[in-house]
Amino acid sequence: MEGSIALIGAGLAAIGGGIGIGLIGSSALAGIARQPEAEGIISKNMLLAAALVEAPVLAAILFCSFIK
Amino acid sequence: MSQPGKEFNLTDYIMHHVQNRTSWDLPFVSPINIPQVLTLHGLMIILAAFFLVLMMCVFYRKDQKVPTGFTNMIESFVVFIRDKIAINNLGDEDGRRFTPFFCTLFFFILILNLMGKIPIFASATGNINVTAALALIIFSFMTLGAIKRNGIVAYCRSFVIPGLPWPMLILVVPLEILGIFTRTFALAIRLFANMIAGHMIAIAFLGLVALFGWFMTPPALLFAVFIGLLEILVVFLQAYIFTLLSAVFIGQMYHPSH
Repeated sequence: MEGSIALIGAGLAAIGGGIGIGLIGSSALAGIARQPEAEGIISKNMLLAAALVEAPVLAAILFCSFIK
Repeated sequence: MSQPGKEFNLTDYIMHHVQNRTSWDLPFVSPINIPQVLTLHGLMIILAAFFLVLMMCVFYRKDQKVPTGFTNMIESFVVFIRDKIAINNLGDEDGRRFTPFFCTLFFFILILNLMGKIPIFASATGNINVTAALALIIFSFMTLGAIKRNGIVAYCRSFVIPGLPWPMLILVVPLEILGIFTRTFALAIRLFANMIAGHMIAIAFLGLVALFGWFMTPPALLFAVFIGLLEILVVFLQAYIFTLLSAVFIGQMYHPSH
């Protein structure tokens, strides 16, 4: 097999990020469905939480991609 | 992603465009050579400072009674930073004292990020050293600033959570001290990783044209433009999150709740 085994870590980090942001999005959508007037507040907080979750995901992908 | 027999190496192409270098490739003119003490990202920081001064001192009209246009936009940003970010996390008087610092931080990071998206300039926040320097400024506020404000005794006491039995305190206090370094590191990494990821995706897709021939141009160009539009959202969001989190962390050290 060729390539570095560290890239498996990059793929796993992508799984974690996808699940995390999916959870955030799903709870945000449920909140908007229950109370459509609160859409502004909910979307702003969803975006904020998504950016916070993205940080370790992107860091792990970048770390794993540059290990020889 | 290099194929034997072709001279074009995609990895080298991406790496060349995101890393720091000493020559600035402008279109239609020969590359400008930058001395090693400055390097391209250092020049970008100086240009961003120049644009910031231009924006705030020349384009922002102070003599207007009712702000219009560009002045209005900047004022809405500053009022947002003062109310929602500074005063929310630092209290009333500390918030007002810190507002210029957070405004500088926000606009500086915003301009640096946006300059990276314009193809002529390079991305300085795509360099871990630049974001680490910004995070170190916040770190010095969290340690030295808090010591100067609260005194060293109260600072050391803020790591101890009251009401815990002493075996747990032996575990919790090092974790709290480690938390300062972790939060600073996460600040630096968050900004750096978001900026670099966007750049690498865009440059990789544009490099696919050189790898596969001219018929790849429409989908590659479309995707690169789409990623670029998404990146504008990421740019504003990351500047806002850096400022918000630094306000939260400084507020946690300046006004410890325990």
